[in-house]
Amino acid sequence: MLLFRSEEAVNLWCAAHDIPRRPLVNLTQLWQLAIHWYGNRLTVESRRPAPDEMVSIFASLGLTGPFWDPKSDQWR
Amino acid sequence: MPEHDLDTKVKLAIYEITADTGRIPDSSAVSQEIDIDESEVVAAFGRLHTKRLVLPEPDDPSRIRMAPPFSGIATAFPVEANGRNYFANCVWDAYGIAAALHCDAVSRASDGHTGEPLTLEVKNGQPVLKPYVAHFAVPAAHWWDNLIFT
Repeated sequence: MLLFRSEEAVNLWCAAHDIPRRPLVNLTQLWQLAIHWYGNRLTVESRRPAPDEMVSIFASLGLTGPFWDPKSDQWR
Repeated sequence: MPEHDLDTKVKLAIYEITADTGRIPDSSAVSQEIDIDESEVVAAFGRLHTKRLVLPEPDDPSRIRMAPPFSGIATAFPVEANGRNYFANCVWDAYGIAAALHCDAVSRASDGHTGEPLTLEVKNGQPVLKPYVAHFAVPAAHWWDNLIFT
């Protein structure tokens, strides 16, 4: 997961490396993902979100569709 | 202090040492920290990997490559927080270190295409917003297939 100055920079990078253009996440969404994933990482009860929890977290941030579904078999 | 199971003790030791030093400990350091035989610590590393909490080095199960959001090696996402220096695994984890430590942080990262310096900052508990974007090249279903690439 890389950082880019702009969407244009992403497009140039994808073309240069022959990598399909995939979803972009802005910094507000990225910070919320960080809070959800890692906010309790140094505590006894920390764990990775379960697949259904992941889908719910992504959806709350407007990240929907099979790309964001950890159980999707679209790319298998 | 409440008694925890072995995997929880190992997990807490990994993260506490990392937070305190900026470096992910190996099995020897964790063994000394919690006074448990090193072979048991290595076995716990494997179980924590199964739970997708850490990624041991592919060729050395006594060392940890990733204890997300922290990286065991230098990366393009250095993070300064609490007066210490860390490395994050990716742009998500650069913010993740601030989230895990509950503190402000600065990551002097760079544009994935041009290499131009781009700074990510968390100030007063909130991200300093800029029009930057993160590109997720790998679908969520495959993040742990090759976590180093992801």
